[in-house]
Amino acid sequence: MAQKMIMSKLFKKTLLIIIILFIVIAVTIAISSGWNLYKDLVQEYKSKGTAIAKSIAGSSVETLLNRDASTIQAMIDQFLEISGVFYVFVVDAQGEIVSHTFVPNVPDEILKIKNEKAKTISIQDLNTEGGGKFIDIAAPILEGIAGYVHVGMDKGMIMSQMQAAMIRQLALIAIIFIFSVTMAYFLVNKISQPLNQLSEYARKLASHDFSSNVDIKSHDEIGLLADTMKSMATDLREVFDRYEQAINDAVVELQNTLAYLTAVIDNMADGLLVTDTDGVITHVNPALSYMFALRETDLIGKNCRDLFGNEFAELVRKSIDNSYEVYTSEIGLAHNRIGRAVATGIHQDTFETDDKGIGSVILIRDITSEKEVDRMKTDFISTVSHELRTPLTSVRGFTEIIKRKLEDDIFMKFSDDSDKKTVKAVKRIRENIDIILSEGERLTALINDVLDISKLEAGKVEWKMENIQPADVIERAIGATSSLFEQKKLAFVRDIDNDLPEVIGDKDRFIQVVINLLSNAVKFTETGSVACRVKRTGNEVTVSVIDTGIGISDADKEHVFEKFRQAGDTLTDKPMGTGLGLSICKQIIEYHGGRIWVESELGKGSSFFFTLPVNAKSGHTSARGVDIIPGKEV
Amino acid sequence: MPKILIVDDDPVIRNLLEQILEPFQEHGVELMTAENGVVALEAVRRERPDIIFLDVMMPKLNGFEVCKIIKNDNEIKDSYIIMLTAKGQEVDKQKAKDVGVDCYITKPFNISELIGKVDEVLDIRIKLGA
Repeated sequence: MAQKMIMSKLFKKTLLIIIILFIVIAVTIAISSGWNLYKDLVQEYKSKGTAIAKSIAGSSVETLLNRDASTIQAMIDQFLEISGVFYVFVVDAQGEIVSHTFVPNVPDEILKIKNEKAKTISIQDLNTEGGGKFIDIAAPILEGIAGYVHVGMDKGMIMSQMQAAMIRQLALIAIIFIFSVTMAYFLVNKISQPLNQLSEYARKLASHDFSSNVDIKSHDEIGLLADTMKSMATDLREVFDRYEQAINDAVVELQNTLAYLTAVIDNMADGLLVTDTDGVITHVNPALSYMFALRETDLIGKNCRDLFGNEFAELVRKSIDNSYEVYTSEIGLAHNRIGRAVATGIHQDTFETDDKGIGSVILIRDITSEKEVDRMKTDFISTVSHELRTPLTSVRGFTEIIKRKLEDDIFMKFSDDSDKKTVKAVKRIRENIDIILSEGERLTALINDVLDISKLEAGKVEWKMENIQPADVIERAIGATSSLFEQKKLAFVRDIDNDLPEVIGDKDRFIQVVINLLSNAVKFTETGSVACRVKRTGNEVTVSVIDTGIGISDADKEHVFEKFRQAGDTLTDKPMGTGLGLSICKQIIEYHGGRIWVESELGKGSSFFFTLPVNAKSGHTSARGVDIIPGKEV
Repeated sequence: MPKILIVDDDPVIRNLLEQILEPFQEHGVELMTAENGVVALEAVRRERPDIIFLDVMMPKLNGFEVCKIIKNDNEIKDSYIIMLTAKGQEVDKQKAKDVGVDCYITKPFNISELIGKVDEVLDIRIKLGA
């Protein structure tokens, strides 16, 4: 792997600080040593100058007294060769310059030096314009009596020396600095380079690339870090592999389950439709597509209101709002077929307290055949009843006409006749015709009852359910049958409770039942009485018709509510009524949610009972519905 | 002269009704018959009968249709229509009411009832000077 020698970021950060630090140190050192050097040099010059001045002062006493200017000149010229000396001049006791080394003239500032009559060495700083800075050392000759020697030390030289030294120092520091920085750079890189590798490695691990490797073998903290990371990577990889495997297994299982469920749904014969809370279709199965002759793509994502109309959308909405109820309605399918839709909401099963669902599941069954069969049943019943009634009409009609004609036009001619045979014949004819008429009536009643029971059993009856006051209905039934009681001279006992609660039922059918029971009671009772009792029993109303007639044997009791069963010996006894009355009563009472039964003792009389449920406040009908599929009809 | 029209495809029933209504004939009421709805409509337009006995199950035009046509025609809607039928269900009675039938009698009918009805209607019509 190529090793990039990029400047480590760490290094970059600290480099600026290091540079500043170094500069500060360098400058401080340079200045401080420069200053020290200056001071030392000044001191040295001063002492040098003092020594020279003293020396000249000491050795020029005589010459000065002799005013030997040239000797003095030669002496002071000598000293000019000493480094640092800039000038030397001697002044006498009057302050007149005797000799000097100035070329060509003595500068003005020198002339202005006050000659202090000091007895010792005096030192002062001198600045000349254009000449530079000097240290002037004045040594008294013979304690000032003979004069003074002035030695001027060149401060300029000090300055240049100092500057040179400072520069040298700075240069040295700079070199050391550069060297250190370079060293530092390499050192830091040595650390940061493996760190870079590790961070690159970590980045790769973070993006799940476990294939990379890092090769750091140093035995320090970095090496430790590298090893730790490598083992961490191994662990991670293991964990990831395991989880990947687990996920794969779960996915496979999920796919299998899904495939199974999909197969189940796709193979259903009924259509399945699933919607969300807004009624938008989320799922359909092939059966449903077929039923509506719409492709899956035309169904999914569409609102069911747009595709199937308002009634269906209402069904769906209701099922979602009350997700624990089941709702049904009929719906038109493609090709003029008809289906029944059963919708139920999808429960949330959360802590929500309302019943609103998160969607709706609708099952649709093609009921075209069922309806066809139904229609055929209805048609058959009405056709049969019509077909039978028409000839019966003629039979009864013509018989009655014959009777009238006979009575009005023929028999009256024989009324006075004493011919016994004729009278007998007339009587016989009259009786026979009456028999035909009454049998005709019986036939009519039979056809009506057969039609009735067929409709009841087929569920083709249209019930008119309403609130009924039992007492009213019973009174009407009693009124309708009162003539029967009178004819047979039977006593009638009425025992009806006050304050009977209301029941829900079909008024006409209720009356039908009571009339039937009352007329049966009269029919099978020769002497005695018939009682009608109406009482409230718990949450039911119980009606009973009790007679003192011939009663029913135990054997017959079981079968008395069956079709065409009459009590008594069917071979010898003439059948009374149609044999269907009690079956019809049973159908009616049971539709209303009640019960009907008989208690009887042969020879003593019979008691027929039926119950009807009291109208519950909630308004729910307790009657059995007529739907093929249970559920609330929308 | 009052007129009664009998419309039924069954000749037996036509015969029966004629015999039942014979007493009226003796009192000057004219009886006519028609064997289907089309013939019946012609007769109605031509004769303007006071009472029409109308059967339901007939070929070509059934009783409901005939009644509807008659009742929607201003010229002939005044005839009193008595529907005769073997069907006695609620739905049929409602249908009859919807098309404007004046009276609905189920077969087999009560002859006295029938005669009584004719009497009643003719009386009213005579009183009204129809």
